[in-house]
Amino acid sequence: MTDEELMLAVSNGDQTAYQIIVKQHLKPISHYAYRLLGSRKDTEDIAQETFLKLWINASKWRADKAKLTTWLHRITHNLCVDYLRKHGRLQSLNGTDSIDNGEQQMDSNEELERGGKITRLNTAINRLPEKQRSALMLCHYQGFSNKEAATIMNISVKALESSVARAKRSLRKQVIETDEKPIRVWNEELETDDGNDDDN
Amino acid sequence: MGMMMTIEEFSRIVYVYGAASNRWPTNLREECGEFLTHNATARILLKQQSELEKLLDQIEVPEFPELERRVLIQELPQNHGSIIDKLLDWLLPENDFGNQIWRPALIACLPLVFGILLGNYFSFGVFFEENGFEYWDDELYMLSLNDYSENLF
Repeated sequence: MTDEELMLAVSNGDQTAYQIIVKQHLKPISHYAYRLLGSRKDTEDIAQETFLKLWINASKWRADKAKLTTWLHRITHNLCVDYLRKHGRLQSLNGTDSIDNGEQQMDSNEELERGGKITRLNTAINRLPEKQRSALMLCHYQGFSNKEAATIMNISVKALESSVARAKRSLRKQVIETDEKPIRVWNEELETDDGNDDDN
Repeated sequence: MGMMMTIEEFSRIVYVYGAASNRWPTNLREECGEFLTHNATARILLKQQSELEKLLDQIEVPEFPELERRVLIQELPQNHGSIIDKLLDWLLPENDFGNQIWRPALIACLPLVFGILLGNYFSFGVFFEENGFEYWDDELYMLSLNDYSENLF
């Protein structure tokens, strides 16, 4: 079944079609929400809300205007932005997953150094303004074209490109250019990060 | 031939399209490649950008094992797609309202059309006065009976 057929069925109240769409799109939607919010619980709430909105507003989707995944990402994006504005600064991505993976791989100094960079990168991403962060996530991780990402964020392609460029420049300066700290410092930083929830 | 490549333009391309040259705009690839061979700063920038992208790829997102079940079992509202909602969506579409303006305009004209039709079929006590001549032939006949001879003298 095509997206159009599925959405038509959903707009007529077909729950099987709804389940198919959820199974197809849940992973990218939850990943995008997590990358923006950095919290498992909030990600689950937003993902649930996204698909509820899909169920309610299925008849409003137009296949000739945007792909279904673009439309769903736009819903998620708006929900995440609303959430961030209501609850202030986004939470740290110091969730156990990425750091745990790093610890398991720390067999050599090189890997330790790489783990340190990833931690610094996470911190730097957390500090990015919401628009730059969203633009980077949509283009780098979610695989959208600049035009699609601009549609999702409801900004011009030029503004999107500017946000992506600023985000990458900022990350490069914070993570790659200043890569002169000894590995010991990273361990200290990691402990500090564990102690504090977020570095605002 | 396009404009001369500068480090600012090159860095913009690398930031916006990524470090992999196959993602750069096709019309600028050759120029960027040439610029790279002659500019050490550009090579350093590209190397750093490439490293940054590799690091970005290593940031993982946790699995959400219970999420699918949670989304699927959530209570969905029953009043799904009522006729009134559908009519309102058709009348006032969220997207491209400018091109669909004829829809509310059409609805606004309906009372006028209804009034014309109603007025055409029902007289509501208003009648035209008959002037006594049912046919045009009768009127001509009556005119022919007039005596115009008096006016000739």
